[in-house]
This record gives sequence, C-alpha cells and structure tokens, in this order.
Amino acid sequence: MAYGAAVAHDEHDHHPHGWKRWVYSTNHKDIGTMYIVLALIAAIVGGVLSWWMRLELTEPGLQFFDGETQLYNAILTAHGFVMVFFVVMPAMIGGFGNWFVPLMIGAPDMAFPRMNNISFWLTAAGLTLMTLSLFVGAGPGTGWTVYPPLSSLAFHPDASVDFGILALHLAGAGSILGAINFIVTIFNMRAPGMTLHRMPLFVWAMLVTAFLLLLAVPVLAGALTMLLTDRNFGTAFFAVAGGGDPLLWQHLFWFFGHPEVYIIILPAFGIISQIVSTFSKKPVFGYLGMAYAMVAIGVVGFIVWAHHMYTSGIGVNARAYFTAATLIIAVPTGVKIFSWLATMWGGSIEFKAPMMYAIGFIWLFVLGGVTGVVLANAGIDFALHDTYYVVAHFHYVMAIAAIFAMFGGWYYWISKMSGRQYSEGLAKVQFWVFFIGVNVLFFPQHFLGLAGMPRRIPDYPDVYAGWNFVSSVGAAITVVGTLMFYYVIWHTYRYGKTVSDANPWGEGATTLEWSVPSPAPFHTHEELPVIGPTGHHHSKPAE
Amino acid sequence: MRRVSLETVFGLIALLVVGLVLSGGAATAAEPVPGLSRPWEIGMQPAHSPVMERVHEFHNLLLVIITSIVVFVLGLLGFIIIRFNARRNPVPSKTTHNTLLEVVWTAVPIMILIVIAIPSMRLLFFANKAETPEMTLKVIGHQWYWSYAYPDHGDLTFDSLPIADSEIDVKAGQVRLLSVDNPVVVPVGTQIQVLVSSDDVIHNWAVPSLALKKDATPGRVNETWVQINTEGTYYGMCSELCGVNHYFMPIEIRAVSKEAFASWVEEAKQKFASRPQPAVAAAQSSEQ
Amino acid sequence: MAQRQRRIMVSAVLLFGVAAGMVGASFAAVPLYRMFCQLTGYAGTPRTENITRTDRVADRMVTVRFDANVNSKLPWAFQPLQKRIEVRPGEDVLVHYEATNRGGTAVTGTATFNVMPDTVGKYFNKIECFCFTEQTLNPGESISMPVMFFVDPAIFDDPETAGVTTITLSYTFFPVDGPQPSGAAAAAAAAAAPARAGDS
Repeated sequence: MAYGAAVAHDEHDHHPHGWKRWVYSTNHKDIGTMYIVLALIAAIVGGVLSWWMRLELTEPGLQFFDGETQLYNAILTAHGFVMVFFVVMPAMIGGFGNWFVPLMIGAPDMAFPRMNNISFWLTAAGLTLMTLSLFVGAGPGTGWTVYPPLSSLAFHPDASVDFGILALHLAGAGSILGAINFIVTIFNMRAPGMTLHRMPLFVWAMLVTAFLLLLAVPVLAGALTMLLTDRNFGTAFFAVAGGGDPLLWQHLFWFFGHPEVYIIILPAFGIISQIVSTFSKKPVFGYLGMAYAMVAIGVVGFIVWAHHMYTSGIGVNARAYFTAATLIIAVPTGVKIFSWLATMWGGSIEFKAPMMYAIGFIWLFVLGGVTGVVLANAGIDFALHDTYYVVAHFHYVMAIAAIFAMFGGWYYWISKMSGRQYSEGLAKVQFWVFFIGVNVLFFPQHFLGLAGMPRRIPDYPDVYAGWNFVSSVGAAITVVGTLMFYYVIWHTYRYGKTVSDANPWGEGATTLEWSVPSPAPFHTHEELPVIGPTGHHHSKPAE
Repeated sequence: MRRVSLETVFGLIALLVVGLVLSGGAATAAEPVPGLSRPWEIGMQPAHSPVMERVHEFHNLLLVIITSIVVFVLGLLGFIIIRFNARRNPVPSKTTHNTLLEVVWTAVPIMILIVIAIPSMRLLFFANKAETPEMTLKVIGHQWYWSYAYPDHGDLTFDSLPIADSEIDVKAGQVRLLSVDNPVVVPVGTQIQVLVSSDDVIHNWAVPSLALKKDATPGRVNETWVQINTEGTYYGMCSELCGVNHYFMPIEIRAVSKEAFASWVEEAKQKFASRPQPAVAAAQSSEQ
Repeated sequence: MAQRQRRIMVSAVLLFGVAAGMVGASFAAVPLYRMFCQLTGYAGTPRTENITRTDRVADRMVTVRFDANVNSKLPWAFQPLQKRIEVRPGEDVLVHYEATNRGGTAVTGTATFNVMPDTVGKYFNKIECFCFTEQTLNPGESISMPVMFFVDPAIFDDPETAGVTTITLSYTFFPVDGPQPSGAAAAAAAAAAPARAGDS
C-alpha cells in the first residue's frame, strides 16, 4: 500500500523558538506536551492534598487539623477538583488526545490550532485560580459537589467559593472549546480512506468524550453562574427564602457530574484498546462492538444522574427508574471488558510496562465497576450513601484504573513524544510498587464504608481505626510509587536510549503514529497518507 | 528449567499483600455491640430493623455475584497470561469476531442484572412502604447538632448535642464522637414516621444499623420510616458535608419498651419544658 | 480544500450553538422544573392551579396530618391548630395554622410546603392557602392562616396511592429580607379566607 512520505522539514520550518514557541503555540504536539506537564504539576498539588488528609486519618483524633476543620474541608474540595479537572482530563484529553488524534487520523494538526492554544491557557488559568481559592478567606469547604446552601454566601461568606466557581468557568470554557476542536477535526480532517469505521478506537473514544463534554460542561457552567449570582447578585435560584430550591443545584450538577465521570474513563478505554492490541499483536476483538459500546455508555450516561441523589427525597418511582437505568450501563461496559480479554486470547503477549498497566486496568476497573453495580441499587443505598464505600468505588475506577491508563499511555507513547525509550526494569518496579500501594490504600475503604464510616470527615470514632491505619500505610506506598514515576520520567529524558525505529513495538502497533519518526517532527502528515483497502497501515517492524 | 521471572515474584507478593489485607479483618473482629460497628469490621453493622435485615440479605446476594465476577475475570486474565505469552504462543491468531460469543457476553450480563434488579426493586418498595405510623418523630438538622420533636406527644422538643472528647465517660459506656447529651428515645416494635428537615444547610440523618439515611434539606421535609426490633442504643453520624463540625454531630437513639417510653415522655416534658421555644432562642442569640 | 474549510467553519458554528443551547437549557430548567412539578404533582407538589372539581366523594377516609416548621432566623411561633383530621376524599376541608411574632421587630416571612408521600401530590388540591404569600407580623402580632383543600377521590383508583392511609402536609416558614409593609398585608390575607367551613 502506498502512502505519502512524511518528511521532516525541521531545518526549514519557520516555527518559533524559545518561550514564544510554547506560549503562542499552535502546534498540537507542543500543546499536548504542555497539557501533560500541567497534569504532572497538578498531580503534585492534588497528591500533596490527599497525602495530608491521609496523614490526619492515620489515627483517630485530630492531629493536624485541630481547630482547622474548615481547612480540611477546603483541602478535600481542592483535591477533588484538581485531580478531576487538572490532572486526569488535561493528561488524557488535552495531552494524549492532542498528541495522537491528528497523528492517528493522518491530519497535520487540529482544525483550530489557535483555539487549541486558548483551551490550554484557560485550563492553566483555572488551575491557578483553584489553587488560590485555598488561600482566600477560609477556603472553599464545600466538597467538589458544591451543594448550596453550604456554598451560598450565608455559609461561605468569603470569596473562596467564587474563586472556585471562576476557576471552573475557565477550565470549563477550555474544555468546551477543546471538544469543538476534536469533533470538527475528527469529522472533517481524516486522511483519504480513513473512514469512521477504520479509525483507531482511541479516536472513537475521543470523539464520544468530546460530545459528552459539549453537552455536559455547559450545564455545569449554567449552574455555576446561578450559584455565582445567588452569592453575589441577590438571585435566589437555590435559596429557599427567595423561592428557590437546593435540589435544583443537585439536579443540574449531577446532570453534568455523571457524564463527567464517563468523560474521565472513555479516553482511558481508548488508550487500553491501543495498548492491548499492540502487545497482543492482534487487532481489537469486535471493533464495531467496542466503538458502539462507547457510544452507548456515553448516551446512557446522560440519563442516570439522580443515582447520586437517592437520599435527597426524590420519589420512589424516580429511584426505581434510576436504579434500572444505571444497571444497564454495565452491559456495554461488560462488552468492552470481554472484548479486551478476547483480544488477548490467542495473542502473542509481551508483558512490557504498558501492557502490565493495561492488564491491571482491566482487572481493577472490573473491581471498581462491580461496587458501582452495588451502589446503583437505591434499595441498598441507605447503607452506603456518603460512606467510604463510595470513596472506595470512585477511587478504584478513577484513581486506580484511569491513572493506570495514563501511566500505560505514557510508557506506550513516550518514545514517540521524546525520541527516548524508558527503562523497562525501572518501569516494572514502579508498576508493582504503585499497584501494591493503591490496593492497600483503597481496598480497606470498602470495609470502612460497609461498617458505616461517613466520608468527608477529618476524625472518626475509634472503632474505624484499624482499616484507616492500613489505608494510610497504602497511601505511603502509593506516594513512593508516584515519586518513582516522576523519577522514571527524569531518567528517561536523561539516560533513556534514543530510539532508532519509528515503531519500537513490532507488528502489533498498526496505527499511523508509528509510521512517523521518533521523536515526531514538529510537522507531520503534511502530505496526507492514503489508507489502503485493508484499513491498516503497516510500518517496518523493528529489527 | 524455567526461570522464575521478576514479574512473577512481584506478582505473588502483591497478591499475598492484598490477600492478607482481606483476611485480616475477619480474624480479629471483636464481639459486636448493637448499633455500633467493631474494630476491623469488614461487613455492615448488625441489623436491628426489618428494612436493614433485608438490606443484609440483598447485599449478601450482591457480594456473591460481584465476587464471582471479579474472580472469574482474574481467572481469565491469569489463564491468558500463562497460555498466551509470547514465549508460549509466538504466532498470534487472527480472530477478531465470533458472533456467538458476542451475543453470549451481552445476554449473560443482562440476565445477571435482572437477577439483581428484581430483589432490588422489592427492597426499594418495601423500605418505602407507607404503613400506618403509630407515632411521628421530627428531626431537624442544625450546624452542628440535631434537635428532635414529638408532635404526637405534646410537642416535646429538645436539642441533642454531642459530648466533647474531653468529657466522654468511657466507664458510663459513652463513645467518642458518637455519644450525645440527650439521646432520642423511641419505643421498640413501633412503626415510626420520621420527618427530616434542616434549619440551615443540608445535613443527613443516618443510623446504619437501622437502614436510616435521609437528607435534611432546608425548606423541605423528607419522610422516612423505621421500626426498631430490639431495645438498645443505636448510633449514627451526619452524612452530608455541612461545615466545620460535620464529623461531630452524631445521632444516638435509645430504643426502649413501650411502657418505658411512656414514662420517659412524661419526664422529658418536665425536663425540657423550661427550655424557651427554639425559634425565639435562636433569634435572640447570634449564630456562629 | 475551500469546501473542506467551509465544512469546518459550519461544524464549528453548529457545535458552538449546541454548547450555548445547553447553557440555555440549564437556565430553562428553573421554570420547566416548576411547571413539571405543578402538572404531575412530582416530588410531593400539591395542586394549586387547574383544579377540576367533581361531585364524587370516596367511601373511606384518610388521615391528614399537619406539620409546621420555622427557620430559626424567624422569631415566630408557628403551629397547626389541629394536628390531624380524618378526611373524606372529595369533601372540602378548612384548617388553620397560627403564627405569632415573638420577636421585637416587624418581620416578614414566607412559607414553602410539600405533601408526603410524594405520590399523593397530584391528588392533594389546595383551593386557598397562604403558600408563598409574604406575611408581615408586628411584634407580638398573631395571625390565623387558613388552608382549604380537598383530596381527590381518584386517589383510591390509582394503584400507587390506593393503599395510602395517612397524608402529611408540611409547611416551613422562612424570613424574607426586604421592605416591611405594616399589618396591612396580614389584614389582606385574613380577608381572603373563605367563609365556608368544611371540616369533617
């Protein structure tokens, strides 16, 4: 099959150098890199915040936050916002999405390169404001769910919540613009022959994610604006005395909030599909099922929001409906899990670091997902709502599974992004330390939740001391595993072997990014590749 | 002679650690106290209401299902790792479709979900059933304590404040972060309608051993029900973030015989009569 | 290439429109939510508009309990004059709540309400009530606030509500900030009370 040679024109490129290259960037790879760096910085912020909380929770009694529980509440709020909006989303959507969607579809860049730049800087500004909110007044002690009346002016009379609202407006605007960019790029800029049904699954994942962002984030923006005006301009959307309703916030927030968690996990699904296929040396099993399962998850994700509100006083029929709808999502999710297993079945699997993370993802996402099936049932929710069981569930699917996909993606793609390959030995040690750490950290939290320990508390009755101690030990191990990852990053740039081949992974890596040199040149696909009849593009296997 | 790889060693250690963590709990748990959990507990608190008993049954069913799924997937992964690694299977197959398999792995989860949904709905509607209540208990959440009213018993009203750590009397059976000065007293074996609301922000009135958990929202009265099986003391904690003392506004319920309850009501009316009306007291003192 | 440029611009404008539409939809949620609840009685919203009367009465009774709450920032005493009444669905019922300003200054209050169980909302018809009306009371002033309602006998035809034996009507009073008219508001509310008595 023929494809246009993608020749690097670096010496003749008139792209900017120095700080302007980054601040004014309109290059999808550079912007992707900036997003990844942002996520790495935000991960330190979010991680320090959670480490601080786990330190307090190691033993009963208040050791660090005595007299400072408002600060504790502000820290748990910031931890949630930073991890969701400034670590996972930038890394996977802004980072890997920007880097690899154009490469995979054969496009020279995104449809709107300047808007891409704006999206990044809006996100960076949002992170700054969110961090600052911790230092304004007493800090926003509302939880990432920001429920009024606690978040209203009467109960948070300083500007901390307003800083948080503005931070989210900025980050949200960045996300909406980014979503438009991805949708337009994917629909209009695929290379000739790359039909929608030949796109890599990572691109499908990004497409569905972008639609979810487009439909859900504006609702958050509306709700945040209502809260802002309630707090500052005397409106009463949520204030009962003025004829408003606190439940309106909950409906609007969760209408955004539930699709948001699929926004977090869908790119991870895409990354896992790429990795599993590459290291099994087989195409993904049931491609169409995989693509449409993601669409189904996205669509159904919009009609299940009130499973976050089972104890708020909504009627029994509503609870029954939301239970049924939530349970249904397990079906397309199961299709994906089994399809990955079937991809590996009969494959010739190499257990390099990306694949270890992918396998870890598959098992641990199932583990986290089944506790979600438990929580879906309104009839049992009274035992579990607002307990550590919920905390365990969402950390398994987000902090473990999604992070595994991010680490896996980094190990998978770093040679393409930097021209250097990571050390396999170091990566494997990092994997096991992190794996042990996060499981010791989060598994006992299921027990705490079942036993009745509520969430968002800095101190607990003595009876919960045992598992809290174990969980904090797990946190310590996780910190080590995380620091090891940063070390691996540094080690790769300092000592990593320069790769000689565009494709270090062999016959299993069939997507277009492996056909361009490593590191990928500033401009790629300037002559559009032509995708042949089989839809696959093969590169020369590594020697 | 196959060399044991580094991965295998690490993998076994990881599984060992996870396994220890799981089994540790069951071994060291102490005797259960009604209405309270126990150290190293891995399950829910013992049930003391008809709804909670059914919650236990349903959860046991769910636990069997989800454990089987997790073990099944782990087993498949283990088999795949051993059988299809590159050394053992150098030539990958080209299979990318199998319609029968795809139908089965869509249909079987649907069937499992139906097996879950049926008891789930039954439990939901049972818990929600409005039988004729024999009495009403009103619960109002405040920052950071609960107040209770008995509209069927002459408007008896009182506040239930948490006892500070320094004043906890362990010998009297008090528990840090859970004991209050005036527990809610209710009769056993009685259908009680509980009306929950809040005076300021959203709180949540929760008692795990009785399957009680309802948001206390200002401007709205939420209704729930409870019937307590046995006499005893039952504890709970506020379950919606409500400010600086969210962790320190516990719920303590004393369930007593119907006769004991009747005499308690009389004593309580005397004891709390000298308290001024809550609305006036709050208006005259400044909040926070 | 120009054709593709055009398609790109059109897609972008369309998608922007979708995002803007979603923001609009979230604001529209406010009145839509209210209308939906009114129409369907969802979330325990009693009917206060578009009430259809029938001559039909049911053959059995339900107990209606009356609940009253006051926000602690409003220095009022507020209670129902009767805790519960046996009611025949189809017949009009008049009950009263009483509020007294125990504070030292004139204050305006407004009330929110709901019925429980929430499925009963669409069968609970309030003909006259003091619902959201702002009531101003001078220090020491008391006011008797009427609520006239009937329970639709169709409540026993609906399988969901056929087994209901007890309905709870709950009001919560809140303070309202703003200009305080004098007792004229209270007088007007009293004048609005219908002359019929209809309790059973």
